[in-house]
Amino acid sequence: MYQDIIIAGFGGQGVLLAGRILAYAGMIEGRHVTMFPSYGIEMRGGTSNCTVIISSDEIASPVIKNPSSIIVLNKASMDKFGPALKSHGMAIINSSLVKEPYKRNDIDMLYVSANEIAEELGDSKVVNMVMLGAFVNKTGIVRIESIFNALTEILPAKRQNLLKINQEALKRGAAAVK
Amino acid sequence: MSNILSTSILSSGSYLLQGNEACAESAIRAGCRFYAGYPISPSSEIMESIANRFPECNGTFIQMEDEIASISAVIGASWTGAKAMTATSGPGLSLMLENIGYAIMTETPCVIVDVQRAGPSTGQATRPAQGDVMQVRWGASGDYQIIALSPWSVQEMYDLTIEAFNLSEQFRVPVFLLCDEAVGHLRERCIIKDDVEIINRKKAKGNPPFGQDGDDLVPPMPSFGEGEKLLVTGSTHNEYGFRKTADSAVQERLVKRLSNKILLNQDKITDTEEYFLEDAEIGIISYGISARASLKAVKVLREKGVKAGLLRLKTLWPFPEKVIGELSSKVKKIVVPEMNLGQIVREVERVSDCEVIRLSKVNGEVITPTNIVEGLQTNIRS
Repeated sequence: MYQDIIIAGFGGQGVLLAGRILAYAGMIEGRHVTMFPSYGIEMRGGTSNCTVIISSDEIASPVIKNPSSIIVLNKASMDKFGPALKSHGMAIINSSLVKEPYKRNDIDMLYVSANEIAEELGDSKVVNMVMLGAFVNKTGIVRIESIFNALTEILPAKRQNLLKINQEALKRGAAAVK
Repeated sequence: MSNILSTSILSSGSYLLQGNEACAESAIRAGCRFYAGYPISPSSEIMESIANRFPECNGTFIQMEDEIASISAVIGASWTGAKAMTATSGPGLSLMLENIGYAIMTETPCVIVDVQRAGPSTGQATRPAQGDVMQVRWGASGDYQIIALSPWSVQEMYDLTIEAFNLSEQFRVPVFLLCDEAVGHLRERCIIKDDVEIINRKKAKGNPPFGQDGDDLVPPMPSFGEGEKLLVTGSTHNEYGFRKTADSAVQERLVKRLSNKILLNQDKITDTEEYFLEDAEIGIISYGISARASLKAVKVLREKGVKAGLLRLKTLWPFPEKVIGELSSKVKKIVVPEMNLGQIVREVERVSDCEVIRLSKVNGEVITPTNIVEGLQTNIRS
């Protein structure tokens, strides 16, 4: 088993946290994992992406050129990583910010209106969890329970009050692709 | 105090750690209890982790006014008996170099972590590079040898930080953990074991602290406060630390010993790893994050029927020239992928009998397996 995913958006959308949680969930399930971040010097507004690899064997390079899946949170990331996605790859696209259908017919595309879902839940910051929930449910790369466990482990003690809304967001994302 | 020390170390198990976090945890495990530093991307998480964790293990953390003060405090702390460390990136290292020379001359054990970013100067703060290979080797004045280790994974950020402390204590020399932004910020599994070898500097009451005939080139090191007569100077000094700035014999003996204590022990110090080299016709030599891409490239090339293999350098300085020389007599070509315009490759050329091909990438992005495979194919065709 080998899966590589690029998660991309702008700084502040929680791209790196989503990648960290996905990698942690993979480790909980006994896989080899890497999470490689790439970001600018800005805290918010710049571009941000990370590469997550989950594999049953040791991972040589944590950096790859053509991922088998992408999770795209904004338009700029679609333009950057859309062309890099492998043929027959999977793109989970935040349709709240990527308005136009992406023009490639050799890939699977799934549109999730993540901003609207997050706002319905009352916190626009959980867009990343909506997208992650959708991706995990669609691909079955890890169990959603492992994501919940990873979330509990990663959230610091003073942030555990946010566990519930993040879990809700993951569930809503998962439901959106059923 | 011993109770506090033992309970503050991460218990054995699997952790998903960032490279920089693993480095900080490893320093604590190695016995580092003094850290002075000035924050700089992409090394800052080391300082942040140390600042968070030191109160739990009775360590002393100081944020200094700059990098010059940081390395000075580290050297001073080492002479009080502490294992001491600082972490920085290329531009910060440039500021430290004068006193790194002082640490070399005074034979002060300390660990300096350089999480390399794209330079020169301020360059790209969050982008990886491997451009400081020669800065750590030759940045200070005069003739000397240092030790530099190059981790390629989060696990090695942990393992080699302990190794860096062990080597610095054993050889009384500054040891560099020369990593890159990619390994520093990478997150992956790190397995922490209870059983770790820790080496401490040797002591011998009454012995001269700066070398005498018949010793093993690394003199015992007293600390201030232990009752020994102790003079520490960056000027030329005899075995007791007395300044001998006009004595040619003392100067020659000192400078040669400073080099020889590393060079005559280089087989003990240098460490490399081999992958698929048994029948290889093309030998890739790489280090740090570039070696990760190289290993993947080797696998891709093997699938295409190209007999490629990888020699990975865990030690950059002293340069593992023996093993590279041997490799060059067995393969047809050597390829050196690195994220600079050719630093380790020149050393490889110096000791190799076969053709050596340079593969550079300096755009602030990590070298990929595709870069290496395509670069190699272009080169073989032409």
